Amino acid sequence: MTEAVVELSNVWKVFGQQEAETMQAAKSTGLTKAEALDQFGTVIGVRDASFSVARGEIFCIMGLSGSGKSTLVRHVNRLIEPSAGTIKVLGRDVGAMNAAQLREMRAKHIGMVFQHMALMPHRSVRDNVAYPLEVRGVPKSKRWAVSDHALGLVDLVGYEDRLPKELSGGMQQRVGIARALASDPEILLMDEPFSALDPLIRLQLQDQFKSLVRDLNKSTLFITHDLDEAIRIGHRIAIMKDGVIVQIGTPEQIVTEPADDYVREFVQGISRLKLVKAHTIMEAASPERLQALNGALRIDGESDLDALIDLSVDTENPIIITENGKDVGIITKTTLLRGIQGGR
Amino acid sequence: MDQQADMAEGRPGSVKDIEVDRAALDQSIAEFVVQNPDYYSRSFHKIHDTTSGIPLTFNWTAALLGPLWAGARGIWGFFWGFLILEIIAWVQIGRGTWGELGADSLAQAERQAARAQEFLQRAAEATAAGEDPSRFETLAGNLTRAAERSRDAAEAAAADATFILMTGLGLLLVLKLVQGIWGNIAYEKQYSRWRVTPDQEVSGIQTKNIVLAVVLMLIVAPLTIYRFTIENIPDFLTAFPADPDHYSTTARWLEGQIDAAALAGSGAFDGVVLVVRQVLDAISLALIGTPWPVVMMVIFVVAWRSAGPRVAIFTAAALAYIAFLGYWEIAMETVALVGAAVVLCVVIGIPLGIWFGKSERAYRFAEPVLDLMQTLPAFVYLIPIIAFFGTGNPPGILATIIFGMPPVIRLTALGMRGVPDSIKEAALAFGASRRQVLKDVELPLALPSIMTGVNQTILMCLSMVVIISLIGGGGLGKVILEALQFAAKGPGLLGGFAILFVAMVIDRIVQGAFRRADQK
Repeated sequence: MTEAVVELSNVWKVFGQQEAETMQAAKSTGLTKAEALDQFGTVIGVRDASFSVARGEIFCIMGLSGSGKSTLVRHVNRLIEPSAGTIKVLGRDVGAMNAAQLREMRAKHIGMVFQHMALMPHRSVRDNVAYPLEVRGVPKSKRWAVSDHALGLVDLVGYEDRLPKELSGGMQQRVGIARALASDPEILLMDEPFSALDPLIRLQLQDQFKSLVRDLNKSTLFITHDLDEAIRIGHRIAIMKDGVIVQIGTPEQIVTEPADDYVREFVQGISRLKLVKAHTIMEAASPERLQALNGALRIDGESDLDALIDLSVDTENPIIITENGKDVGIITKTTLLRGIQGGR
Repeated sequence: MDQQADMAEGRPGSVKDIEVDRAALDQSIAEFVVQNPDYYSRSFHKIHDTTSGIPLTFNWTAALLGPLWAGARGIWGFFWGFLILEIIAWVQIGRGTWGELGADSLAQAERQAARAQEFLQRAAEATAAGEDPSRFETLAGNLTRAAERSRDAAEAAAADATFILMTGLGLLLVLKLVQGIWGNIAYEKQYSRWRVTPDQEVSGIQTKNIVLAVVLMLIVAPLTIYRFTIENIPDFLTAFPADPDHYSTTARWLEGQIDAAALAGSGAFDGVVLVVRQVLDAISLALIGTPWPVVMMVIFVVAWRSAGPRVAIFTAAALAYIAFLGYWEIAMETVALVGAAVVLCVVIGIPLGIWFGKSERAYRFAEPVLDLMQTLPAFVYLIPIIAFFGTGNPPGILATIIFGMPPVIRLTALGMRGVPDSIKEAALAFGASRRQVLKDVELPLALPSIMTGVNQTILMCLSMVVIISLIGGGGLGKVILEALQFAAKGPGLLGGFAILFVAMVIDRIVQGAFRRADQK
């Protein structure tokens, strides 16, 4: 990947009076979350988190409620001050900024979308979307033009003068996304944006969001408690548990090589068809064997299991996997079926 | 498999088949009652098994010892209720037994008989002196008959004594019976509570409780029975032996302190009065200085615009009443007083409310003060206000502010707190400063609550504006006060209606305006 747009290194967040003592104990003795609450009366929100988000990447943070994912993402725009660690946004240390610089960064470079929309109920849709510009003192004419453009990006033309409460939940969240896009920031922070929506709308918005981010080349930190959503949207996924990042990897890595039992339990119910690539499950084959199968069907190693099944239906022979035009391995029916099951 | 077997075994066929587990219950009851567990287990079971009406168990200890039993077991409601009822019964018994009922009638009869005797003697002397004795004889005869009647009354009272005694005994018997039956029921209720909060409920007999019950009974019962039974009792039992000097010294000292404080801070107090007077004068000038047709027209149009044609017609009628009875200027003075008080309340109250809404600590400190401002009867703080600020309209407005400001502060704070954190956070996330968050998010979202507060403040100020006439405030309150002093029914009623109309017009207009703002 290219340059890191957001970079967190060794970030800790401890809530409570005895921050320093708790961190000391947690670093030296591996104090657990429950023990910290018991001994120091503190809550460990984030524990030694490090990751970076590359330009144009969608980085998902997945975890159950209380795992610290929302806390973690609020460090990026310093809505929450870290107890320790450094956060760099576009190469600048967020912790070292003064109040004016921080406001400037929030208004210009970071857009945020919230789980419960958090629209201002007394302002029209247009004025809601224009708020990040209004804060910076952009004149009204310019503000309105930009706001209308942003609403166009999320297909909400014609709703500019409505109040948020007149819109459905899905539309309100699109207003939220438009607001985040209004000042054309490099970075989007999405805090469980689609969790409160019903499943059909959620799927729609996920697709819409994905293509929008690709077209606009935004870097995104996407929080979710839904692994399906993380896999659908994310280029990379970080799985959090009790404030710790347990594993970071591509969706395929997470599903095929879960780091521990916790992650394994999560990925159990995930459909592998669209995730697992042919080269992950293929068997190595000697050149002689490949020679013998000369007439067999070929498919690229980057194809997923779904495509393999389509191909496998038409032939009794093993399928030859190619990479950059060269034959590298084979997949028999048995391998394919086992691969779908999860390599058992 | 195990689970399935458990399910099959444990699944009840119907509610009838469920067995009551007495053993576990007994253990818990024993733990609660400590002393005499067997008896209470049986009684409680009987209560638990009752299907209708009052469970019939009889607790002899509760019946005989009454409140003492209840106190020892920590059933204090039972203790106080039956202590008072038993005292009533005992007072009756005491009056019947020792109370010398009819004693005063008997004494009167004796006196009257003695006087009759005296007159008879005079009559005898008169006869001996050769004068006419008939006057004395008549007097003696009258007195003898009066003495007879007194003696009859005394006898009747003495006969009443038996009746009172029987009533007392009967009442006591009934009370004992009720306590015997009710005792276990009350105790079982205490047990149910104890199961939920074992730390807060008393269990078993505790020495501490026995001592407390005995002490309470000794203080309350004998003195009360003595007081109502015996005719002549020492004075110190009916009137608290207070030394009047305590009062006068404290009052004098306080007066000195207030005078000194008023003198020391006179500059500051005068400054406050000056500010209030400025505001009042500005509003008065606008209302009274402007020709009356203009003011009336404006009020009428405002009523129409904010609350619709019906309120406008009512306003016109009210204005006509006030104008035709010659109350116009006085009524406008009242409106000016209310207006000045409300303006000051809002100007001071909303910033305070914003502060209290943001700072939990400040609100904790302010809360008792606000409570005091609202609960303190107005008459109480009128005097210090006179001491510090003198008399007249400005001090009256200050008194009105004390009474009227708490609602706007409270409801502003409430509104500020009701602003969802998520929206504030969103504004911050888009780079808003704290001032911008206040202006763009907090104040607009708290506005409905703030407006309710302002409305309440207006109504409170209106109700106060009559009272301030006591410290020299003008306006319609003064009209009422004068009418009250001379018990003048006509002027009082006319002035009263004028105030009522002013209040109703202001209330209607304000409510109409706020309702329109709400609907937006």
